[in-house]
Amino acid sequence: MAATPIVRFTWRNCIIPQADTVLSFLAPSFRPVLCTPQTSIAQFSTSARRYARDPNRNRGVSALRHTGPRRRQTLSVKKEDLPKPVLSRKLKTPVKGDPQHGLWGFFNKDRRLIATPEEDLAHGRAWTVQELRQKSWEDLHCLWWICVKERNRLATEKITREQLKAGYGDFEASERDKTIKLTQRAVRHVLTERWYAWEEARKVARDDEEVDLTAEGEAYIPQIDMDEVELDEELIKDEEFAAETAEPAEPQHGRGRSGKTPQTTNGPIASTVTE
Amino acid sequence: MFKPTAPLQRNLRRLALTTKMAGKDYYKGTRSGSMGDHTKHGRYLINWNKVRTYRVPEDLSRCTLTPFVATRVERAKGKFTGTRGPIDGAAYLERWKMENGRD
Repeated sequence: MAATPIVRFTWRNCIIPQADTVLSFLAPSFRPVLCTPQTSIAQFSTSARRYARDPNRNRGVSALRHTGPRRRQTLSVKKEDLPKPVLSRKLKTPVKGDPQHGLWGFFNKDRRLIATPEEDLAHGRAWTVQELRQKSWEDLHCLWWICVKERNRLATEKITREQLKAGYGDFEASERDKTIKLTQRAVRHVLTERWYAWEEARKVARDDEEVDLTAEGEAYIPQIDMDEVELDEELIKDEEFAAETAEPAEPQHGRGRSGKTPQTTNGPIASTVTE
Repeated sequence: MFKPTAPLQRNLRRLALTTKMAGKDYYKGTRSGSMGDHTKHGRYLINWNKVRTYRVPEDLSRCTLTPFVATRVERAKGKFTGTRGPIDGAAYLERWKMENGRD
């Protein structure tokens, strides 16, 4: 036997009625409806169908399971409008590469796959530590990375030679690689040496009166020892000079130069005094 | 710093163990280095001071140096007359005073 539908009445679904006198001039569509319940009907397996047709148009359609569209289902893309692949290699548009791409750094400047053994053999010796001691930080930094890039290029060519089964060229390339590694070792040695020398100098400077390691003011304030100041012999004979240097200047102590002294105001006299 | 589990490394030297073997208490690194710290809740907090950064000079194309020196150039040894060697702090300081002390 068919069950009678149970009507559920909720106040939430009701619209509160308003006075007819106030809103009688309103259009019929705006006239309030008195307590119209919005019914919700319980569904059982034996209930009558709510819809004539299944409202879910994509029921059973799955891209993951490769089901394909339903029968007579229309999609946004039509089969006729789909682009056709170009199968012929000659008709394909050529791939444009960037000639300035950074990855070209892994290849030689002619952009060939591998270099000949003669080209790999044409190199000199590694830098010595003494030669690199004279170089600045910027030069050493650049040299290091030039070595890195060259070794990268050699490593790429080594893999290419293995893939192509070239059979030769490995020995020359490995010798070149060893030389570059020696250069890199020397660069690292020089930088380490410099750091340790700086560290030792810092320890000596801690006890040095002329050096101020705090960041306030000048780091180096030379203390002029008047006994060590060398004077030009010709100038000593000059009478003007003799008059000006009548008062011996007091030796400078502590930070900064205190006032003017005859030596400093009258041009360069002592070769060892630095201004 | 984590180290590989010592007893297993000592007694089973003939067996080249991998990271996937010998139970959960066996640790073997892969030479990649420590990049941070473990937490007791199983998380790993990266310590960016430990992470490597590589700084390349901007104008590498301008540098004309090559990794090699001509073979005919003789290798000269460094002469450290008046100093104790390349790492002499007093000599470094004196030279700094002469060349770079005052602007």
